[in-house]
Amino acid sequence: MLLADFGTSYTKLFTMAEESEPRIVPTRELDPAFMADLATGHNAKRRGRESVNELIALAKGGRRLIAEPDAVLLDCGSRDIKFIRYQDFEVADMGWNAECGASMGFTIELLESYYNIDYTTVAVPETGFSVTCGVLGMSNIFDAVVTGSSETEAVAKFVRGIARNAFRFAGSPDRLYLSGGLCDNPLFLGCFPCVVIPLGRFVLLEGLKEHLRSKESH
Amino acid sequence: MQKIIGIVGIPPLEIIRQINEEQGKIVDLDEPQLPLSMNRETHLPQVYCAILRTVMLNAMNMPLDRVYIDVGPGKCDCALHVATVLQNFLTIPIITTRNRDSEGFGYPICRSNLPLLEKLQAITQGVQSCKPSPDYPPSVPTAGFWGVPPRDFSLLSLFPDSTHVYGWSRCMENKTPADMELESSCNPAVPTVFFAQSFCAKTALAKHLAERHPKGLYVDCDVNAGSSVRAKIEAFLELSRDAASAVPAASTASTDNGSPGDDHAAG
Repeated sequence: MLLADFGTSYTKLFTMAEESEPRIVPTRELDPAFMADLATGHNAKRRGRESVNELIALAKGGRRLIAEPDAVLLDCGSRDIKFIRYQDFEVADMGWNAECGASMGFTIELLESYYNIDYTTVAVPETGFSVTCGVLGMSNIFDAVVTGSSETEAVAKFVRGIARNAFRFAGSPDRLYLSGGLCDNPLFLGCFPCVVIPLGRFVLLEGLKEHLRSKESH
Repeated sequence: MQKIIGIVGIPPLEIIRQINEEQGKIVDLDEPQLPLSMNRETHLPQVYCAILRTVMLNAMNMPLDRVYIDVGPGKCDCALHVATVLQNFLTIPIITTRNRDSEGFGYPICRSNLPLLEKLQAITQGVQSCKPSPDYPPSVPTAGFWGVPPRDFSLLSLFPDSTHVYGWSRCMENKTPADMELESSCNPAVPTVFFAQSFCAKTALAKHLAERHPKGLYVDCDVNAGSSVRAKIEAFLELSRDAASAVPAASTASTDNGSPGDDHAAG
């Protein structure tokens, strides 16, 4: 049974009963005919024999990984952001922003390679740009560079703006569980004005496992 | 020759009665009537209520004899301004009304077990008549849809048939579009999607009610319901169903909001 989280930029794969750890493959490197048995993510309906809604996978995956009854889980993907708020172990609120949250993760990765920045060495800035989305925020970087900021400083302020925007989208919690590839970006994590607990990139795969488990138990 | 009369919002019943008596053909300009792209509408800002942009698109491209636009508390201020724009562009009479009808006709469709899409189609169609809705037996709700009939009816197909309708749509069926108390009422015992068109003043009420509702989800969308809106609704309904099935039947809320037969939540 092959499980897959078909993200916009990266696909996370896990073969039940065969693998101990999931694999990550750039989505653009997948064979066009590649299919999974159970899928979630942007391309799930096209590439999955059975698909699970991303928010449902996130909610179920988060529930498997988070022990607290009340918690907020934020998933920052390449093209969108999603959050789940749990209360008494149940989903109390949720959100999915594919418009104003557009291209956040994608833009942060794009800037990393364009400006040749190593995010592990960049200090968290004290101030940031007001960034609504990845696309609209880009001009702030160019303006800052023109007025004397270093490229690294400008990108750091941009990343801070994106993190603050995602934080507000999730309801400005005191503690935030984070999911997605940006869990590996220390600058991004450091820009949140709250306690951040990174859960890594495989929360949606955990949701697929939970989906299977609940199907089997019925 | 039969007159073709456009309506926007819900004109007072007296106006509908007059049109029916003269056997005029009523066209609801709030709904898409023409196979034209929204880009063809250029007189309103692009960032504006999709329903009123649809009104403009219809009114500017249909052979109408006159138009009634409700601009009172039963519709919105934006309709008032759209009326001004139409008055400046069209030569036919554009008549503004302020519907304060207060006699309730009931809302059996809202509480029925019809598919939600059919419910909203019947409710919007009912605006063209002075008669109450046909009687439907009330169903036990498992979900709620609060709001106006959406620009994109396809999002209604995501809901179960046992969805009850609240908000302005319920006011429409009741023929009291300015009844704020009825518009604000909902059932706290059923998971409810609070929907408003993006850029509509009702987004404030929808968000407010969703925040106060124990199981509410606020959703807004513009011209079409995109994948994220659809996924949000789908996930909300499925997760609410899962949560309800996980709760022992004895502890599941069953609320009576005072209307016999109405709005008992399924356990």
